[in-house]
Amino acid sequence: MGEAEPSSPLPMPPILTSLRDRLFRQDRRSRFEQIIVPHLDAAYDLARWLTKNDADAEDVAQTACLRALQFFDGFHGGNPRAWLLTIVRNAFYTWLEQRDRGAEGVAPFDEAIHTPEGGGADPEIALLRQADGQLLRLGFEALPLPFREVIVLRELEGLSYKEIAAVAGIPIGTVMSRLARARRQLQEFLLARGVKEGGS
Amino acid sequence: MSCGRPVHEVAAYLDGELDLETTLAFERHLAECADCARALATQQALREAIGRAGLRFEAPPDLTRRLRGAARQSGIAGAARPAAPPRPAWRLSAFQGIAALLLVAVLSFSLGRFGPRPGPDLAQEVVTSHVRSLLAGRPADVVSTDQHTVKPWFAGKLDYAPLVVDLAGHGFPLLGGRLDYLGGHPVAALVYGADRHTINVFTWPTSYTPDRSGPDPVAFTRQGFHLVHWSQSGMTYWAVSDASEERLRQLARLLEGAGGG
Repeated sequence: MGEAEPSSPLPMPPILTSLRDRLFRQDRRSRFEQIIVPHLDAAYDLARWLTKNDADAEDVAQTACLRALQFFDGFHGGNPRAWLLTIVRNAFYTWLEQRDRGAEGVAPFDEAIHTPEGGGADPEIALLRQADGQLLRLGFEALPLPFREVIVLRELEGLSYKEIAAVAGIPIGTVMSRLARARRQLQEFLLARGVKEGGS
Repeated sequence: MSCGRPVHEVAAYLDGELDLETTLAFERHLAECADCARALATQQALREAIGRAGLRFEAPPDLTRRLRGAARQSGIAGAARPAAPPRPAWRLSAFQGIAALLLVAVLSFSLGRFGPRPGPDLAQEVVTSHVRSLLAGRPADVVSTDQHTVKPWFAGKLDYAPLVVDLAGHGFPLLGGRLDYLGGHPVAALVYGADRHTINVFTWPTSYTPDRSGPDPVAFTRQGFHLVHWSQSGMTYWAVSDASEERLRQLARLLEGAGGG
């Protein structure tokens, strides 16, 4: 991987630069296969949770991936999954805006945590642990967007706080408070509803 | 918290986001503070339920196919973008061609000879193998959840016996095994599932590759994949996945528990 030494007194001959550019272009396709394709599931997963239905998720994921292809040269190393998810998220908000001036996006939500982060009572812990998958799915869908996206990135896509901050374009402190709120709401949702219906 | 510790500490601990020092301090605190211990248990219960629910969606195969088609078409980036500033069209004369080839040859020879040799980056190889196995759509050569089927399958293919355990009871079902080639050796790849993520665990004797790792798993990130690397009882382990780092560390602990004498 010889990079041209910056101290080199001679500029690279144009023949070599054009040769290099050509190799680079050919390389782009295989890099797409290697770097983007493996993260398509992640892209679709995020799109699906944001849009909450299959057809729109496909649209958003496809738009995002095509945009990723288009701007592939703008990707300078780093974490390709976080990069792709950022594009998916942007594509989603653009789509949402076009669809309905962001009815869901502007729904007021409260950043602060009112309930002290105490744990539930011990029987509640046992009930939470047994929470049914279908109910959890409903719980996720019931979360306001800003909470849903962080918990999907964290729990389903396994991103670190720093990566989530980069994808969602928010400070790490906000990632933490939104995650806390998301978990709290999920917990309340499950305990209020599912546990009674589904419980033994 | 009523104990005065920051509200998000419990979650950050669970998410593996505390630095080592704070982690240790928090663990000491947990032993004394019932509030924090209960908050942790609650969040852990929620996470377990989420993990078990299989909430992750997979891209429909149709979408994957369409996009791959789009990627294959030439002019990926060029077509959709405003044209690049015009540059002189170069046509190589025979002489220029030979000169260029010579230059390339000399450059690549001297770079290869005197430049910093890239050296086999094992982490990169591990990620590449993982990706290749996913793209093949069939990560395991021997598909079985039974460790007593997978383990004998490796006999005669490798000159060592890899550790094969099913960890379905801990949320890591064994999906099968595969023969792979890493660091210049044939190695065992064990395929585990975790909440719809695929994990590859590569194992080989420590004598194969220079290795300074110990029983404490070391984590890396490459191309958006997490890797956890450790060695134990003369064997080197690399676990790789797009599952979270804690999940990989959890698997590492379970494997160490199963393999440890």
